[in-house]
Amino acid sequence: MALVDDLRSTLGSDRVHSHPLELLVYDKDAGVTRGEAVAVVLPETTQEVAACVRIAASHGVPVVARGAGTGLAGGSVPAEPALLVVLTRLNEIWEIDEYARTAWVGAGVLNLDLSRATEHLGLHYAPDPSSQAACTVGGNVGTNAGGPHCLAEGTTVAHILGVEFVTSDGDVVMLGSKAPDPPGLDLRGVVVGSEGTLGIVTKVLVKLTENPPAVRTLLLTFDSIQAAAATVSGVIAAGIVPAALEMMDQPMVVAVEGFIGAGLPVEAAAVLLAELVGLEEGVVAEASVVERIANEAGATSVRVAADDAERAVLWKARKNAFGAVAQAAPDYYLHDTVVPRTKLAEVMTEIYEIGRRNNIQMLNVFHAGDGNLHPLVAYDAREPGMSEKVRAAAEEMVRVSVAAGGSLTGEHGVGLEKRELMGLVFEPIDLDAQARLREAFDPHGRMNPGKVLPTGARCFDFDLAGKKEVSP
Amino acid sequence: MTVLKAELTRLAKGMLADPVPGAPPVDLTVAPSQVEDAAAILRFASTVGLRVLFWGGGTHQGIGNAVAPDVVMTTHGLDRIVDWQAEDLTIVVEAGVTVSALEAQLQQRGQTAVLPETPAGATVGGVAAAGLSGWRRLRYGPTRDRVLEVVLATGDGRAVTGGGRLVKNVTGYDLPRLATGSLGSLGLIARLCLKLWPLAAHQGMVHVSDPEAALRTAYRPLAVIETNEGSIVYLAGTLAELEAQAERLGGRLASGHRWPEPLAGPWEFVLRVPAGATGRFVDEIRRNGWAFQAAHGVGEVRLVVDSGDDERLAGLREEAETLGGTLVVFNSPARGVLDPWGAAPGSADLQRRVKAAFDPVGIANPGILPGGI
Amino acid sequence: MEPSLGPTQAQLDSCVTCGLCLPHCPTFRLTGDEAASPRGRLMAMGAITQGTIAPDEVYAGMLSFCLQCRACEAACPSFVPFGQMMEGARARLAEVRPTTTGRVRRLLVGKLLNMKWLLALVTSGVGLVQRVGIMRLLPRRMRLARGLRRQRVFPHSAVGVHDLAPAVPAGSVALLAGCVMDQWFPAVHDATRGVLSMGGFKVDSPETQRCCGALAAHEGAERDAARMAERNVAAFQGYDYIVSDAAGCSAHLKDYGHWVEGGESVATRTRDITEFVAELIDSGQLPEVKGNGDEVAIHDPCHLRHAQRIFDAPRKIVRAAGYTPVEIDPDGLCCGAAGLYMVYEPDTAEALGEAKREQVESAGPTTVVSANPGCEIQLRAHLGRGYRVLHPIELYWEALNR
Ligand SMILES: Cc1cc2nc3c(=O)[nH]c(=O)nc-3n(C[C@H](O)[C@H](O)[C@H](O)COP(=O)(O)OP(=O)(O)OC[C@H]3O[C@@H](n4cnc5c(N)ncnc54)[C@H](O)[C@@H]3O)c2cc1C
Ligand code: SF4
Ligand code: SF4
Repeated sequence: MALVDDLRSTLGSDRVHSHPLELLVYDKDAGVTRGEAVAVVLPETTQEVAACVRIAASHGVPVVARGAGTGLAGGSVPAEPALLVVLTRLNEIWEIDEYARTAWVGAGVLNLDLSRATEHLGLHYAPDPSSQAACTVGGNVGTNAGGPHCLAEGTTVAHILGVEFVTSDGDVVMLGSKAPDPPGLDLRGVVVGSEGTLGIVTKVLVKLTENPPAVRTLLLTFDSIQAAAATVSGVIAAGIVPAALEMMDQPMVVAVEGFIGAGLPVEAAAVLLAELVGLEEGVVAEASVVERIANEAGATSVRVAADDAERAVLWKARKNAFGAVAQAAPDYYLHDTVVPRTKLAEVMTEIYEIGRRNNIQMLNVFHAGDGNLHPLVAYDAREPGMSEKVRAAAEEMVRVSVAAGGSLTGEHGVGLEKRELMGLVFEPIDLDAQARLREAFDPHGRMNPGKVLPTGARCFDFDLAGKKEVSP
Repeated sequence: MTVLKAELTRLAKGMLADPVPGAPPVDLTVAPSQVEDAAAILRFASTVGLRVLFWGGGTHQGIGNAVAPDVVMTTHGLDRIVDWQAEDLTIVVEAGVTVSALEAQLQQRGQTAVLPETPAGATVGGVAAAGLSGWRRLRYGPTRDRVLEVVLATGDGRAVTGGGRLVKNVTGYDLPRLATGSLGSLGLIARLCLKLWPLAAHQGMVHVSDPEAALRTAYRPLAVIETNEGSIVYLAGTLAELEAQAERLGGRLASGHRWPEPLAGPWEFVLRVPAGATGRFVDEIRRNGWAFQAAHGVGEVRLVVDSGDDERLAGLREEAETLGGTLVVFNSPARGVLDPWGAAPGSADLQRRVKAAFDPVGIANPGILPGGI
Repeated sequence: MEPSLGPTQAQLDSCVTCGLCLPHCPTFRLTGDEAASPRGRLMAMGAITQGTIAPDEVYAGMLSFCLQCRACEAACPSFVPFGQMMEGARARLAEVRPTTTGRVRRLLVGKLLNMKWLLALVTSGVGLVQRVGIMRLLPRRMRLARGLRRQRVFPHSAVGVHDLAPAVPAGSVALLAGCVMDQWFPAVHDATRGVLSMGGFKVDSPETQRCCGALAAHEGAERDAARMAERNVAAFQGYDYIVSDAAGCSAHLKDYGHWVEGGESVATRTRDITEFVAELIDSGQLPEVKGNGDEVAIHDPCHLRHAQRIFDAPRKIVRAAGYTPVEIDPDGLCCGAAGLYMVYEPDTAEALGEAKREQVESAGPTTVVSANPGCEIQLRAHLGRGYRVLHPIELYWEALNR
């Protein structure tokens, strides 16, 4: 095939895959949809990425960017036959500026590797998705990834100062800068979270965060989800924004405990993991307030991690939660809705009710502090009618969240899996505006087509009435 | 023009306002009080090609390339606080609410939107459009990280909502960030939802002699500001925290905050450089004898200069630009002496296309951005 | 009984494609290519098992590029039994797609390793070559020979030794002599026997034992591996414990349940020497020796850390020998030895070996312990002169005799 030949002549044959088996291993991310590429390339430099984009364009083949493929929305799974550009080999850390607290890294650098590389300077890269050992910084930029510690620090976009960006025409531009507020439109801000639909990020300028002098990690247990949710709302309302505030329900605790053995309380209906960071003096004060609020809400126990080792185990348990669900059933469907934090208890009650009504097995682990819910349905897709049932329940859960003033996705992205639900949150005119924005970046629809926006988002009804007839 | 004006006057019925002091002379000044009204006017303006200048508090109209407008649209009529969810730390406000009024309200419940502390007359919409952050940025990040939702009346007259009233959200493209700092080039920011922060129990200041050392010693100060008079570390937290921080900094704790008075001068500039280089630039500015206020750790230095054709300015700008920074004119007595932005960004083409997606005819603050976008 | 390896549909289903294993996989880290990742290999196995795609040389390449280090298995929160599945997949592939090189490899690990006279001959040969000093003339694929200990020209074997029992033995131990271990690392066996005797155990190395069959299993020589396991089940009957001082072997003995009838009984009695001794130190049956606290770098063999999840034991032993353990790698990535891997994938083995060398060098210490013979050879080959590489049990035995 001509496309593959052209790619081979640029990258050599080792880094261009077209054998069916080699394509098949790329046909899925950590979500549920499958889709096959026509070819997979592993470029090593920005110039190679740009060349791949140009070659694909010349053959009329769209392009899908892929990092580590840990995405949960099918973002890096081709929705139509496309060239898959895998960025894992752009894994160089180019520069660490200790004084400016910034680093230039390749899009393929693993999130955790970046924090490890800056550890000796007392700095870290703040966004810490639970998948941080596996996912790439470029993928994080693609989804505007969050993580437990994004509650106080903000999600990925707050930590990206600039990106080197390959446009849909295969040009390379720099968006953002090391200096604050570069003049002009903030295209950097738009590219973060755009799920590869505007172009491909090849290098990332990240902000580094200083390690806090003191940390307290509390494990609070409750005999009801509502009590735990009330604690979350109470803590925020009391004017405390902890570094992290995570919730797990009983089924989830049981699953993780089976893998890690962290000594988690498997008998509790819900546990909260709260982390307070800062100066010792402040951390102590805040911890006692959190403890008081929890007790008032009816906490059954409060455990404070004694040392770094215990803290590490608690976090390891939290971060391995998703993976551990496979012990429960072979397939899972993971939601990612967000709701105002004042509505947590209310929405959780409804979600459990939906689970009960549909008779599906559900586990919960989520970023409670920012109202980001992750009800996770474990099921066996081979059971007749099961997939449909799970999808129907999923939509119900989304509707409940949206009705409470929430939205479809807090951090995993819209991707392939939620795009047809966009109409629940946005009016046609809003979706049209987003479609126009996308067109400005990618007029020919080359970048990750079929993602984020629903079909027919671009609506010509909103064009200027009579614009063409009147001459200015 | 008279036919058009008549039509516009008809459309703007009930929105007509007196000319705004300080604004360029125009035929028509409008003050819509609904997003839809603003959109309707912009749609007409697009259809007939009338240039519109947006006006908030008028405190930052000196930024950017000069706009020669046919119509001035002010946000005076958009002055409501729409929805304050104090327990969720979010608030929805209209663009014309002044920053000082908003912060005064929030303070009553111990909250802040962390908007610029000065000047008093600035509006929330204007500050967002100009992408300005206050001194406390070192601790809380820039304003654009707290704009959760925007309602935009686009240049071609659509009322578009982007983002959501949620502290965390990746549903769709990030219009709030795009709008923040767009200086009206996409249309009018009519309403926005902001993320709030709880105010710390105590505030304090410590005078220090070496701001860069202080920046490394203090844990997450609100600001480390150096002026011609000296350097101050601004702190917030519990009393015990403040005392501990002050001790580590080796200084005496003064309670409360006194932010530097805005610098006033014929030529006002903002220098933006990588944070690590702030000290070096401050030294140079000091040598030149200019009045300045530097935010260490942020990389922003505000300065005033007597004359815009001082060649040392060109040198400063060039130096900043080689490091990826800028020297931006914030206010000047005369346009055309010095380019307000400096070198146009490499992404100018893309920026032009993005503007056109919202303002295809080019009537919304036309040309204000770098490269005349 | 036929070995029950898989990959079965249930095993394949247990992978939820979360990707959490990817960064732990040395071949993925090297290539960034999911075709060289655990998740990719599992997806490929799935497609072949279901018959969607026919096994061809691309599939064969995907399987053989895997080091079988099982780091992915330790990282997998869904308990996917990757090691077993890979062994099974290789065996299935050997059935449907026999190749000459495959056959030669399986002959080597399935038959020749059990021919003691042949191994002894090779050992003598190596001993001679080392003395004559023509090692550098060896072909590329034999680079590993640089890492061999100095061999005896007249090798001896531990098989058949019966150490004197203490008056009231704490228990009986069968020492797995192993194939190359027995021939090339006699000093490690000596240390093991010494330490166990001192700990109060009666140590035998039964005559009828064979090679454990790990290498045969890894190569997909299923029947040979099963046969060896069968012999060993019989040979180790009646002992309280079966101890091996090669992590690859102890890991495989612990897998015997899948291989033969009665294998479970061997599996539950098997201990790697490091875990066994660490427990004895904990319980006070073996002493902690005072030393000068010199630093010793810890290399974690994959088959110890990942396959058996033994992490603390070697560190404890190093401390008990009076040294300070120093970490070299937070992830415990494979050094590239991986059994015969370094012979048939020399380039990858070389790259991983170099990465490991860099880690050791930046960690500082010039003494490195590794509880597996393959790793030792690889480390020695890459670190070169100036470094001392040995089994932690040797370090401890040395300290006990000081
Ligand atoms: C167990 C588990 C836990 C998780 N926990 C979290 C969590 O706590 N928070 C969270 O936010 N997410 C979480 N995720 C989801 C996932 O890890 C994140 O979405 C992550 O950012 C994806 O990174 P990746 O490198 O795997 O990207 P991929 O999955 O490969 O790609 C994700 C999207 O980004 C695009 N993309 C990738 N690279 C680039 C690039 N260089 N330029 C442009 N676009 C690009 C892709 O096209 C795709 O749309 C979790 C996933 C798993 C499996
Ligand atoms: S093997 Fe385990 S860790 Fe790897 S993708 Fe499958 S389930 Fe995830
Ligand atoms: S066994 Fe080792 S090389 Fe093979 S897939 Fe697992 S981690 Fe990778």
